Amino acid sequence: MSKKVPDWLNSSIWVSAPSQRDRISSLFPSSTPTTTSSDSRPPPLTEPPVPVPPPSVASREESPLSSPTGATPQINERKDRHGEGDQPADRTLSEEDVSRQSQLLAEVGLSVCNALSKQIVDMREVRRLTAQGVPDCAGIRSTVWKLLLGYLPPDRSLWSSELIKKRSQYNNFKKELLINPSEVVRRLDDSASPGSDHSHSESSGMLLRSDITCGEHPLSLGKSSIWNRFFQDTEVIEQIDRDVKRTHPDMHFFSGDTPEARSSQDALKTILILFAKLNPGIRYIQGMNEILAPLFYVFKNDPDAENVDFAEADAFFCFVEILSGFRDNFCQQLDNSVGGIRSTISKLSELLKEHDEELWRHLEITTKVNPQFYAFRWITLLLTQEFNFADSLQIWDFLLSDAEGPQETLLRVCCAMLILIRRRLLAGDFTSNLRLLQNYPSTSISHLLYVADKLRQKTSG
Amino acid sequence: MVLVLALGDMHIPHRAPDLPAKFKSMLVPGKIQHIICTGNLCIKEVHDYLKTLCPDLHISRGEYDEETRYPETKTLTIGQFKLGVCHGHQVIPWGDLDSLAMLQRQLDVDILVTGHTHQFTAYKHEGGVVINPGSATGAYSSITYDVNPSFVLMDIDGLRVVVYVYELIDGEVKVDKIDFKKTTTTTTH
Repeated sequence: MSKKVPDWLNSSIWVSAPSQRDRISSLFPSSTPTTTSSDSRPPPLTEPPVPVPPPSVASREESPLSSPTGATPQINERKDRHGEGDQPADRTLSEEDVSRQSQLLAEVGLSVCNALSKQIVDMREVRRLTAQGVPDCAGIRSTVWKLLLGYLPPDRSLWSSELIKKRSQYNNFKKELLINPSEVVRRLDDSASPGSDHSHSESSGMLLRSDITCGEHPLSLGKSSIWNRFFQDTEVIEQIDRDVKRTHPDMHFFSGDTPEARSSQDALKTILILFAKLNPGIRYIQGMNEILAPLFYVFKNDPDAENVDFAEADAFFCFVEILSGFRDNFCQQLDNSVGGIRSTISKLSELLKEHDEELWRHLEITTKVNPQFYAFRWITLLLTQEFNFADSLQIWDFLLSDAEGPQETLLRVCCAMLILIRRRLLAGDFTSNLRLLQNYPSTSISHLLYVADKLRQKTSG
Repeated sequence: MVLVLALGDMHIPHRAPDLPAKFKSMLVPGKIQHIICTGNLCIKEVHDYLKTLCPDLHISRGEYDEETRYPETKTLTIGQFKLGVCHGHQVIPWGDLDSLAMLQRQLDVDILVTGHTHQFTAYKHEGGVVINPGSATGAYSSITYDVNPSFVLMDIDGLRVVVYVYELIDGEVKVDKIDFKKTTTTTTH
């Protein structure tokens, strides 16, 4: 008896949505024939994992028809394309697409530049434009993010004074918090006995023992002892050091032996150490380095030299701002509370149920894929680990553009992520679904964001 | 900011069973970068215990040590300071400051750490400073029975050293400190 090909193999699940295929095949008749075997799809074009820093070309605005830089080589499908089907993994770069997209992007760039150059920036306008994606040029993204996070006020005339104030505040933090206990003790000594001469270099003889200041000695176990706190901090510092070294190992900006990588790592470490010291409540949690990395990268690659020098200070404040919304996700005690991570995950669940009940039922009830298994990392790390670096920058544009804060938008994007691969999820069981969700397949980001945006309109309708 | 622990003359197990509990509770791993031990531990278990506090351990041989391969004297450089270790039973008269100063000039070190007398001393002369951390367990010495357990922790910060003296007097730990600066920097040859 000959073995028949099982029916499920021949089912339409393995074929991606016809609408996309038709469009592509109309442009390139020889590409991607429609077959029914599961390996028919050509491998997706992989973006280079190391995004090229945007060239400091100020003339970008004047040449709207030039193709985008290497940092956004992904295929951005047109906004009018629907399809909640499978991933359009068979992307082919058509020249028309590229030029059309770059035109679109450049138009957005021009509008953003216009919006930014006004005396008082219209925040709503900037938010609206950012949601479409900020082009990677002339430091637009850096300024836009600073505006969206409230670091720069909308009034342009206040920018320089604000920046000076904040940057000097950061320097003060560094000076106060990063000194070691010996220094502190020495200062205490000097203030206690200003006139005493410490250098008895001429005299020989028995050295006099003196009292210790305020009971401070290096082996002190007292809770309020400077030394004890210092040693407790060293544990945190060691953990921060380890995590920073592991951040984005594939990117030269962050990892490797170059002086650039080392200075980036030092900056990241300083920011995280200061944050841990200023927030004894949450200190440092693994994952904060991932949230900090895109911020620092964007600010450091600003073509404006002054901004580059102070990228560390700017990144610190913006990091604090982002984290203030997500603090509760990181605090273990608050896990089960109203604002904690569990309730956020259940909100995501509810959202999915609202928009796609069939998928929700299949995921949570039939295959019992608990959203905690995949959504935890999506939510706490703001999707930095699910996509490559360039894509995550674009997603962050979208997240930060929301006026009500990134939390709601994040859930919508997560929901969109689930909906986009619904066919594969519906066909899979626990193991395959979990594997799929924990290694989310690469997809077109603008399509994803478009779907996420549509979800907002659906709920408000 | 380098923390260096200096101790010695424990004489475990012959004259004392162990370090005082209060000392042990303070000496936890992770805080100290170097340990200098003047000698007379006497057994390997004490060596292992010191190794758990800090991997960088320098020991000189005392006359009762069961490990024969420790050196008679040892020198090391920490930051801007050169330190020397010697047990001190070789230097006669025992505890004589002039003879120790001679040894210090011989070793060419800024700080000489010696023991054997089981009494804490810190003495300064033109060549440098001699520090005797005393006996960490309070074991009796060849000279006297009246010994308080003591050890020394040095905080080396640039050209300045703060010496914290920990002594167990009547069951309580008393901490004092001594401050001194070096006037010239060490030239590396």
